[in-house]
Amino acid sequence: MKYNKKVSHVVSSNLVSVIGSLFTALVVLKFLISNSLISLPSLLKFVQLNPSHSYVPDFRDTPNVEFYDLRNYKGNKDGWQRNDRIVFCVPLRDAAQHLPRFFDHLDKMSYPHNLIDLSFLVSDSSDDTMGVLLSNLQTAQSQRDKSKRFGNIEIYEKDFGQVIGQSFSDRHGFAGQGPRRKLMARARNWLGSVALKPYHSWVYWRDVDIETAPRTIMEDLMHHDKDIIVPNVWRPLPDWLGNIQPYDLNSWQESEGGLQLANQLNEDAVIVEGYPEYATWRPHLAYMRDPNGDPEVEMELDGIGGVSILSKANVFRSGSHFPAFSFEKHAETEAFGKLSRRMGYNVIGLPHYVVWHIYEPSTEDLKHMEWMAEEETRRIEEEKLREFYNKVWDLGFDDVREEWSFEKDSILKNIDNNEAVNNKLANENEWYENTLEEKNKLLELQKEKSREAAKKKAREEFKNKEKANAERSLNGNKEMKDSLNKGKTENKKESTEKKQDNTNKNMNNEQNPKQEEKGQPGENTNKDAPKQKEAKQNVPADFDPQKQ
Amino acid sequence: MNINMLFFRLKRLPLASLIFPSISIFLIYMIFFANNVSILGIDQSAIKNHKWAHEIEGTWYFPFSSKFKMPKYSYKKKSNWLSNDFVEDIIPEGHIAHYDLNKLHSTKDAMKLKEHVLIATPMQTFHDAYWSNLLKMSYPRSLLELGFIIPRTPTGDETLKKLEAAVKNVQTGKVEDRFAKITILRQDSQSFDKLGEKERHSLAVQKERRSAMALARNELLFSSIGPSTSWVLWLDADIVETPATVIQDMTNHNKPVLAANVYQRFFDKEKNENSIRPYDFNNWAESEKGLEIAKNMNEDEIIVEGYAEIATYRPLMAHFYDKAGKIDALMALDGVGGGCTLVKAEVHRDGAMFPNFPFYHLIETEGFAKMAKRLNYEIFGLPNYLVYHIEE
Repeated sequence: MKYNKKVSHVVSSNLVSVIGSLFTALVVLKFLISNSLISLPSLLKFVQLNPSHSYVPDFRDTPNVEFYDLRNYKGNKDGWQRNDRIVFCVPLRDAAQHLPRFFDHLDKMSYPHNLIDLSFLVSDSSDDTMGVLLSNLQTAQSQRDKSKRFGNIEIYEKDFGQVIGQSFSDRHGFAGQGPRRKLMARARNWLGSVALKPYHSWVYWRDVDIETAPRTIMEDLMHHDKDIIVPNVWRPLPDWLGNIQPYDLNSWQESEGGLQLANQLNEDAVIVEGYPEYATWRPHLAYMRDPNGDPEVEMELDGIGGVSILSKANVFRSGSHFPAFSFEKHAETEAFGKLSRRMGYNVIGLPHYVVWHIYEPSTEDLKHMEWMAEEETRRIEEEKLREFYNKVWDLGFDDVREEWSFEKDSILKNIDNNEAVNNKLANENEWYENTLEEKNKLLELQKEKSREAAKKKAREEFKNKEKANAERSLNGNKEMKDSLNKGKTENKKESTEKKQDNTNKNMNNEQNPKQEEKGQPGENTNKDAPKQKEAKQNVPADFDPQKQ
Repeated sequence: MNINMLFFRLKRLPLASLIFPSISIFLIYMIFFANNVSILGIDQSAIKNHKWAHEIEGTWYFPFSSKFKMPKYSYKKKSNWLSNDFVEDIIPEGHIAHYDLNKLHSTKDAMKLKEHVLIATPMQTFHDAYWSNLLKMSYPRSLLELGFIIPRTPTGDETLKKLEAAVKNVQTGKVEDRFAKITILRQDSQSFDKLGEKERHSLAVQKERRSAMALARNELLFSSIGPSTSWVLWLDADIVETPATVIQDMTNHNKPVLAANVYQRFFDKEKNENSIRPYDFNNWAESEKGLEIAKNMNEDEIIVEGYAEIATYRPLMAHFYDKAGKIDALMALDGVGGGCTLVKAEVHRDGAMFPNFPFYHLIETEGFAKMAKRLNYEIFGLPNYLVYHIEE
């Protein structure tokens, strides 16, 4: 009994612990499953020991032999976590000025740099594209932070001959589009054929002339897990052109109009988007943009632009490329979109996810800018001239406006009789006073003038007298003394001059008594005498105007 | 009270025998079958669906502080430990390779000017005769690059094993006998080996089969063509006999695309002697009738040669073989096969590939010929230059 009891105890306590541990195990399992750390399919796979696993040869010790299982390079949507190598294909042509910006973008990219391979095609460049490229690459690859360095770098040179110039208007003119696009397609294909290696999982086609792009652009595009995906491309504009503008019109959806147009054209024609000559009425990716839209929104496309294309390497590996011939009436990137769709790949655009292309002025814009600059200088010149003339006016003409405002009333009143009469009653007193004042003023002025004239006269007379005196003193001093004594200079003069004339003497006598009556001779003359002497010394100072 | 006592009492309780099983059944149900009910959650939502506030709002807390900004993506490495045959390629640090493709040329003096030739072979089965024929070629091996693509099938595994042995044998041998480069690819896309030999030539499956073949060819081509490749020789895995100087002979014509005439050796029972018969009918010149047929076809349909259903009356190069004729006689063609076709690398680089869709109602190698023509390249055939297909 006791033994049995013991056994049952042992069993029961074991049972508890078994149940408990089972329960914990179940909870843990459930937790793992629910959190999809281990999913059922993967468990099943584990059990079945990976049925898709196939034979892998070992060529590690064999020289010049490479083996790749293409299954490993299909491109994952989280490629940056799974070591997906990505090759950047960058066609360059006269791009020296854009390269520093491009490398700046590259440097800031958040995709692991060691997984990025760079392939450049330098073609038909007249500037120092190669030199700038090499120096930029050197700096990029010699960065101290090794995680900032890129993977394999390849530069290819190939000239295709230039059909047309590289300026904005040359490149975007309508007539040159077809041949130009075909030539660019050839360049892209040459680059693609040499750049793509079996170990690449993704291919990214990128133009260098991008102003701004998000740092995470690779991840942003990649995580959509699409075969071919393009962002929306816009460009900033100067204020006078309206700030921003859709740039890449090559990304579009096919329309009835487009298909109809394609049917009408001959086999080698190339439809290019964004030109009034070909009205296709296609919905463009660029115009679908809503600045506040969700950047994850996708849009199916038929033709795409080549500014920034992320595609799975598989797309290029299986033969899709940039047709350098008219494929369904399109060429280059647009035809690449069409061809890829034809081959069963999905082609997606992100309408609300934007990268910004740099602004390059077209010839029209350049003309306008030139005109604007001319206008500006002309305006400044005009301003200067106006200032100068204003000064001249000020200097050359007496400003009488103040005087005029002062004189106006009286003058107008004089002229306009009626007004004067009308205003007479009201203004009489004032007017009368004014006129009086004026009269007084005028009188004063006249007086002053006459006084001045008198002074002049007196001065002249005095001068004459002096001359006469001087002559007389030469003739005889005595006579002069006598005359002084007598007192009256004028009389003396006359008497001395006409002394011997008896007839005249009587006249003199007649005159003299008058004078004597008037001025009481003797004293007066004596008094005047010293005065005259003084006057001789300082002539005009003390001249008596009342003498006249 | 110890645990035994408690257990003893519970055992005595008649209800316990009911409660325990029911509780455990309930728990098991909860854990495994009631998917939507959370274990830890209280709000009826499964814990795997739980979202933090910032995940719901699409923001991160402290949005104005850069200190708390999380990277948009996680950069933690993931790897599949079950099948890790990922080739880690070692690239020298600061390596900048520079190639001038202007200096790349493909001329009639290919061997003298040391032009590299890529021999591209989609390989379903490894034939020893093919390999020995390849080794017999007199073109310098230091200028020969080989490219193989092998389908993802069990027979592909066998092929790969045989090829591996053969390749190792050559490449570890004498240095001057080694090939410049050998690229072996394992296909991932549709297997071109899917269809057996018997139905291989039935009209109905032609489109599908050749589409898969086109994909394989493209994958092989665009993976293995290198910056120094001047010529590409498409040589099928079942071509077992060519002249040893085949590359020199064909490059000497200096044509963008040049196809040799593919014949097959067989034992003629009627005449009781060894004989030859035409094999590859894909080398042809376009005919009025062919164009007319194409005109009236649906966009998705293809024309294939050698079937009574589609009588195109095209002049087939296979029928132009003249035993007494000059061996380097040329014939302008509009469609080519892939048996033994030499292509200047620039044709492929310009974009001529093997369409896996009806391209002007043509597919694979014939579509390639059409595409090359669209790119303004001329296509020729050598009706009197024979290479031999294996006899199954």
